[in-house]
Amino acid sequence: MKLKLYADRMSQPSRAVLIFCRVNGIDFDEVKVDISKRQQLTPEFAEINPMKKVPAIVDGRFKLFESHAILQYLASAFPGVADHWYPADLFKRAKINSVLDWHHSNLRRGAAPLVLNKALAPALGLPLNPKAAAEAEIILSASLAKIESFWLKGNGRFLLGSLQPSIADLSLVCEIMQLEVLDDKVRARILGPHKKVIKWIDDTRNATQPHFDEMHAILFKAKEKLLKMHSDAGSDQTESSRKPALPSKI
Amino acid sequence: MKLKLFVHRLSQPSRAVLIFCKLNKIEFEEVQIDLSKGEHLSPEFKEINPMHKVPAMEVDGGFKLFESHAILRFLACASPGVADHWYPADLFKRAEINSVLDWHHANLRHGSAGLVFHSKLAPLFGLPSDVQAAAECEKVLLASLAKIESFWLKEEEQFLLGNSKPSIADLSLVCETMQLEALDEKVRQRLLDPHEKVRKWVDDTRNAMQPYFGEIHGVLFQLKDKLKEMESDE
Repeated sequence: MKLKLYADRMSQPSRAVLIFCRVNGIDFDEVKVDISKRQQLTPEFAEINPMKKVPAIVDGRFKLFESHAILQYLASAFPGVADHWYPADLFKRAKINSVLDWHHSNLRRGAAPLVLNKALAPALGLPLNPKAAAEAEIILSASLAKIESFWLKGNGRFLLGSLQPSIADLSLVCEIMQLEVLDDKVRARILGPHKKVIKWIDDTRNATQPHFDEMHAILFKAKEKLLKMHSDAGSDQTESSRKPALPSKI
Repeated sequence: MKLKLFVHRLSQPSRAVLIFCKLNKIEFEEVQIDLSKGEHLSPEFKEINPMHKVPAMEVDGGFKLFESHAILRFLACASPGVADHWYPADLFKRAEINSVLDWHHANLRHGSAGLVFHSKLAPLFGLPSDVQAAAECEKVLLASLAKIESFWLKEEEQFLLGNSKPSIADLSLVCETMQLEALDEKVRQRLLDPHEKVRKWVDDTRNAMQPYFGEIHGVLFQLKDKLKEMESDE
């Protein structure tokens, strides 16, 4: 029985799992759970994941949610996944676990609410919340600074000084990519100071092409849609040109 | 393997790591980092953990690690004689434990730690209590306790995920729940009373980990008494 992956490509952790499967040739069926249509709240999906979140997987009778647990499981359970994704070496593995854990209360806690409260909320039928966005931005900026100064130390291009990407790179970069839906000036202001971070995003993207761009295409469509909504509304939020200034090359 | 643990017994994740080591007879040196004195902000501790948090560990003066779940997983795998039930080699069981450990961060931990900090502990750190933040955290806590009651604890067995023996997930989440002891007794009862399975699970986990569980939680009960005293003085 093929692996089933319940995902919404607008969800950062969903994209990390999707890209991981594709890059590693893991055969799966992608079952779209459209958050904007509240499909995660259906009783059918609650059978898959009672926490009503994506991503989730079903592997035979085995169900699993939480993207990091899924990535760790897939890396260990499927043959042919190269060691660098989730090394067998206990010391290297422990360090990857620590950045994945750190992510929950730091990068994720900053980036996700910022994008939601500053841009995406209306698409989900929620109001924008500038105060929550401002608080989230503080956490995000501190997190990016920590990635720049600590997590990207060392010889390699990836987190923890690695020469090859791990599931941690995939998870954290997919999170940062969500910033694409923000106004270009805002995104440039937030990311601009962090040169190593910008390069690392590019390196991770390049290491996982063409799957990275394919899974992120929806994000760029959402960005276009939001831009259009703003210009239709006559808002002055998007004074910047349509051409993105930073990593996105689509 | 010469292990140093940098901890503060008022820190829930620090307690989980300490209890794990004691139960599994893992030898270590306990280095106390007093958060109320700002010792976690010192340049010396920054060398150990640049995130300025406890717990953190150092092995043989070289390998350093922080984040309690990463530490527990490492010690479970790297230390000889640790029974399989703590962090099973079976990929399915292990994955389930990983999922509850991950879920914990934004749910039970966020709710419980936030509520206790914003309503009780902040003044000890020279910060004002934040009623609004406490209220938001209480909502998250209640939802989390309900999820442990209805989903993570199965009918058949004593521990999380229907396991008959405790795992590092039980240790982590119960140490977190214990922090609620710092709250007023009435508040704590209001929060926990509706969740019979949760209360039994806390008891079962506690019993499975004596005498170390009681010993490591000693400071928390001392703090509880101190807070009661402070409030009756007011």
